[in-house]
Amino acid sequence: MPVSLEGRCVSKRGDRLANRISRLGLVTTVLIGGCASTQAHLVNTGLGPFYDGVLHLVLSPDEMLGVAGMALLAGLGGAQFGRIALFTLPLAWLAGSMLGMTGRINLVFPAATGLALLIIGMLVAWDRALPPSMKPVIPAVFGLFMGLMNGAAATAGSLRMSGLIGVAATVFVLVALLAAFTVWLAGRPPWTRIVVRVAGSWIAAIGLLLTGWALR
Amino acid sequence: MPGGTRDPRALCRSRAGFRLAGLLGCLFPLTGFAHEIRPAYLDVREQADGRLEVSWKVPTLAAAFGEQLPSLPAAAGQQYPVARSGEHEACGCPSLWARPRSSLAMPIHPVFPEHFKVLSPPRVEALEDSELWTWSFEPPVGGLDGAEFGAHGLDVATMDVLVHVVTADGRVVTRLLTPAVSSLTLTADQRVQLGGYLRLGIAHILLGVDHLLFVLGLLLIVPDRWMLLKTVTAFTVAHSLTLAVATLGYAEAPLEPLNVTIALSILFLGPEIVRFRRGETSLTIRHPWVVAFAFGLLHGFGFASGLRTLGLPAGEIPLALLLFNVGVEIGQVGFVLLVLGLVTSFRVLEVRWSRPARALPGFAVGSLGAFWFVQRLVIMASGWR
Repeated sequence: MPVSLEGRCVSKRGDRLANRISRLGLVTTVLIGGCASTQAHLVNTGLGPFYDGVLHLVLSPDEMLGVAGMALLAGLGGAQFGRIALFTLPLAWLAGSMLGMTGRINLVFPAATGLALLIIGMLVAWDRALPPSMKPVIPAVFGLFMGLMNGAAATAGSLRMSGLIGVAATVFVLVALLAAFTVWLAGRPPWTRIVVRVAGSWIAAIGLLLTGWALR
Repeated sequence: MPGGTRDPRALCRSRAGFRLAGLLGCLFPLTGFAHEIRPAYLDVREQADGRLEVSWKVPTLAAAFGEQLPSLPAAAGQQYPVARSGEHEACGCPSLWARPRSSLAMPIHPVFPEHFKVLSPPRVEALEDSELWTWSFEPPVGGLDGAEFGAHGLDVATMDVLVHVVTADGRVVTRLLTPAVSSLTLTADQRVQLGGYLRLGIAHILLGVDHLLFVLGLLLIVPDRWMLLKTVTAFTVAHSLTLAVATLGYAEAPLEPLNVTIALSILFLGPEIVRFRRGETSLTIRHPWVVAFAFGLLHGFGFASGLRTLGLPAGEIPLALLLFNVGVEIGQVGFVLLVLGLVTSFRVLEVRWSRPARALPGFAVGSLGAFWFVQRLVIMASGWR
């Protein structure tokens, strides 16, 4: 019987699943890494700026991975961290987007998204209890950072304020669904927690790949 | 506290909730009119001798605001000396209208291949909720294959155009032009694109905030999953019935009174949600599916406006109706699943909402329903004057 890092027993089924997920993660990494430019593809749904904002986020694999990583991290931290991230991340994202739209703060550099994904992914894979004071700080900083880049892209495109609200609303919905699912999953047999950590390791790997790609 | 003395503080909070919801009600409808749900329609028919009969039906704001179209005394049946007036559209294209258009018409226009020559000047007809323009074109050199039809201004007006082309050999091509894909090049192997009607249905429900709010109101008074299934099914069956009846032309409901009653259906749910939260009961709370069915019949007529205004050829209506309805259902089921998913997530994450926050959805539904009811009533009354 394989043993996890915490010394807990992991079933063969869980081990096989984790292996399979790792392989799938490698393929995903290559696919997403292949999307060379994922920064400013603003989408016109024909349904107005709110839905343009929704689809902009959904069709941005790097931003989606960031939100997913943050939700997984919050979910692993339990319901309380999940609640904090649920409200902090979308608000910080919106604030960052509005700041980014003004063009006064420019944090966009080639490896920005990759580094953000790397850090969040590593935190998920590491799965250590975070100090309580860090719980609101991490989603706030991450949301502000991603929002700033989002706002800069919005300025370049046609995403207006209602588009940014669409993005923030989508972040809220995604965090709610994914963090709740992770909380539910983490309370199941021990191997399920490993699955979440493996997912975190993909996000870190994708972040590393994107960083390397940007700095090449 | 059913039947008990009202706590003055709770009353105060309720009033604050009403004020907040009222404020939301003032904000939402203003943005709600920003997008045109009804698509425009471009119909191109190749005649046996190669001539093209072209119709362009564009919605006017009159239906949305209940205003009458300005009279077009020199319009209907009028022959114009020239097809192109020398004026230009906002996008720089030469004007096809030969006379100024109604300011209430959506600011979009069709784009034809440059080598097309107008045979007869355009005629215009003012309909209840749209303007209908018709032209005749000379037989195009090389036929229709390779011809590109499009529309300009879709991104500004945030609306779609359904293009329907019938060639002389009986081939039918249907495409939905959107702000993202605003032109269609005809090729020999094209046929009806089924996805267009499906997309219209999805867009209609996603932009129809009033329909979504009614569904949200139903979800808020449903006590369990079985009742949820019954209620959503009843709403679906009812609106499918009237959508079919209205689109097939067996019955119709005038748009302004219909919009008023749809708003009334939302307003009706507001007090029921508050009653449900207080633990009180009523016919609606005991049998929400009955209300869902009754008002669903009305909402079906509303959905039909998305298809009816197109004036589709009779042969295409059954397929268009089916796909449009499937699109509406996809949007509706997606919305219901999203709400249920969020409710479950909040439970798992142990989110504890404050009393005003818990009351907000009910107040929002009621207040927005009241706002729309009054607004649409005023619009309807102003149309009678």
